[in-house]
Amino acid sequence: MSRWQYFGKRLLLSVPVLVFGASITFLVIRAGPLDPVSAIIGPQGDPQAYNRIREQLGLNEPLWRQYIDYMVDLFTFQLGESWVVQPERDVYSLLASYAPRTIWLGFWSVLIAVFIGIPLGFYAGLNPNTFSDYLASFGGIVWRAMPNFWLAVILMSVLSQSQSLFGFSWQNWLYETNVTGPPPLPGDLVTLLTSPDHFFPALKKIAPAAIVLGSASMGNEMRIGRTAVLETVNSNFIETAKAKGVPPRSLVWKHIFRNALIPLVPIITGEAFLLIGGSVLVETVFNISGIGYLFFQGIQNGDMPLVGSLMFVFILLVVVINIVQDLLYTIIDPRVGYDGGA
Amino acid sequence: MARTDATATRGESEPLLSIENLQTAFFTDKEVIRAVDGVSFDIERGETVGVVGESGSGKSVTARSIMGLVDSPGRVLEGSSIRFDGEELTDKSEKEYRSIRGGDIAMVFQDPLTSLNPVYTVGNQIKESLRLHQDMRGAEATEEAIDLLEAVGIPDAARRVNEYPHEFSGGMRQRAVIAMALACDPELLICDEPTTALDVTIQAQILELLDDIQEERDLAIMFITHDMGVIAEISDRVNVMYAGEIVETAPVEELFANPRHPYTEGLLNSIPGNQPGADRLETIEGDVPTPNEPATYCRFEPRCPKAFEECTRVHPEPVAVTDGADDHTAACLLYPEDVSEAEAVELHERRGDGEEVTDR
Repeated sequence: MSRWQYFGKRLLLSVPVLVFGASITFLVIRAGPLDPVSAIIGPQGDPQAYNRIREQLGLNEPLWRQYIDYMVDLFTFQLGESWVVQPERDVYSLLASYAPRTIWLGFWSVLIAVFIGIPLGFYAGLNPNTFSDYLASFGGIVWRAMPNFWLAVILMSVLSQSQSLFGFSWQNWLYETNVTGPPPLPGDLVTLLTSPDHFFPALKKIAPAAIVLGSASMGNEMRIGRTAVLETVNSNFIETAKAKGVPPRSLVWKHIFRNALIPLVPIITGEAFLLIGGSVLVETVFNISGIGYLFFQGIQNGDMPLVGSLMFVFILLVVVINIVQDLLYTIIDPRVGYDGGA
Repeated sequence: MARTDATATRGESEPLLSIENLQTAFFTDKEVIRAVDGVSFDIERGETVGVVGESGSGKSVTARSIMGLVDSPGRVLEGSSIRFDGEELTDKSEKEYRSIRGGDIAMVFQDPLTSLNPVYTVGNQIKESLRLHQDMRGAEATEEAIDLLEAVGIPDAARRVNEYPHEFSGGMRQRAVIAMALACDPELLICDEPTTALDVTIQAQILELLDDIQEERDLAIMFITHDMGVIAEISDRVNVMYAGEIVETAPVEELFANPRHPYTEGLLNSIPGNQPGADRLETIEGDVPTPNEPATYCRFEPRCPKAFEECTRVHPEPVAVTDGADDHTAACLLYPEDVSEAEAVELHERRGDGEEVTDR
């Protein structure tokens, strides 16, 4: 089977997963105590208005009909309109205004984890049982053990009082920013990436949240990276390579690096999922109105179409990341075949 | 022990590899383990030298010492000498050593299933050797890699060169490892139990292959194994190792016909089928001791059926087993055979002292 056939097969197989995920979401939303109508009219609304709105929203329809409408809408990518959070606003337009902040946050937290955690872990693994290894390992464990919500609150309060604590003002450093609040992202990507006056304030603003969100993943990747390197270094093929006169540099980069990456692939992609869930907490603490925040608002207010659509987007994302992970596997490790079975 | 003929031209008379008083020790927190303790032997061009011994007798550490691959906390001690082709290897820097590793001396390891990197093609790994030592790249290197695979008897080499190790069977992988070792036309091939992980038929094929290659390329082979049958098959000379020391060395026929050291006798007796009619297979009781102190006695004494009082006091030195038998030596107080026991003990004592005088 070629790589593209395999890819096609994986795409096809992901359809049942999507259907199942969307159905469960429907079930949870409808079975739960969500009452969008009272959220709209408030607790003292009169029963007539209540029934009228209920009729309008289509909540009096039989459940199976609602289910079919819901599924058809999702799979034709008609994500509908918000009912409560921002009434009558298209979910697409909500996504367009909220998603960039989350992507900006997720991007940096993954980057911090990958570019600090993995090199640190590899370094520790290549110099086992030295002082720097112990320092890195210990730091990794501590970093990993600090829960998101706690770290977020602590970091926030330390940064907002940095003037009185350290005599250094985080708020006024380089660019003037508040510790909390959404990052100042310009309308389009090109401006963001090309203009330093847009890029750096946005980066500075997101940095504390990204560090908090990336910290657990960073510690994780450090630990796994260290173990993976240690395991590879002690394997026989490394000795064979040494015996044929491979210099240390190419030993590390050619023979150890690629083998040590294999166990890291699922860790990295697995953490990409976590960033979706974890961002709800961090976005709330740092008051970054991103997708996580929007999702949280949607649930609190019983905004059924918004919650359903966002959930569908999340499921889609998870499925895509999974496929990417499997593709990465086949690229890095030739032993992973395209055929079924093992 | 310094060689006076070091400046002499490389004649046929000088051995390809000459090891003198090789000592490799591992310095752990608890103790110093003298894994190789004063080993000396030569390997001539085109010769196969077998090294036998139980697990833990220091065979593999000897091989790794020659390759300069002893990892911390182990190191080759001062006073050891490994001369290869007229050059002293123990003085070489790591960088100089690298050009010898894989270039002049190549090594084949025990487990072919894990000694190839799983994420690169077999061809890639052979070409790496070619690039490192012969500066050969691209199509030329691919061509050479295919030739090498053909030379070790891998069918359809042009296709298999682009396959990954997991697509090869165990025997094929060992052939590929041998091809990789041969890539740079080494003069000495060190085989560390290359057939132990293979089944018997494949084992025979690999031994045959090594034999053919040796004939073709005039290759010297140092063959490490604990399998006496394999030793009988392949080697010209045999060194028997015990607890970091060579206890007996002899040409292969001589060793099998007339084993002198009690340990060698024990090894030969414990081959199944060597004593037809016997009820039980003879074994050597006990285990190889961990050599963690300087040898001032015979390390085999606790297990030796022929041990006598002096064995706990005098360290046996390798001596010719009979007067004039220069190519058969044993490190045992029972030898030389043609003098009385007391005289023999005195000879060993004197030799031991003498060595210490020139050594330190």
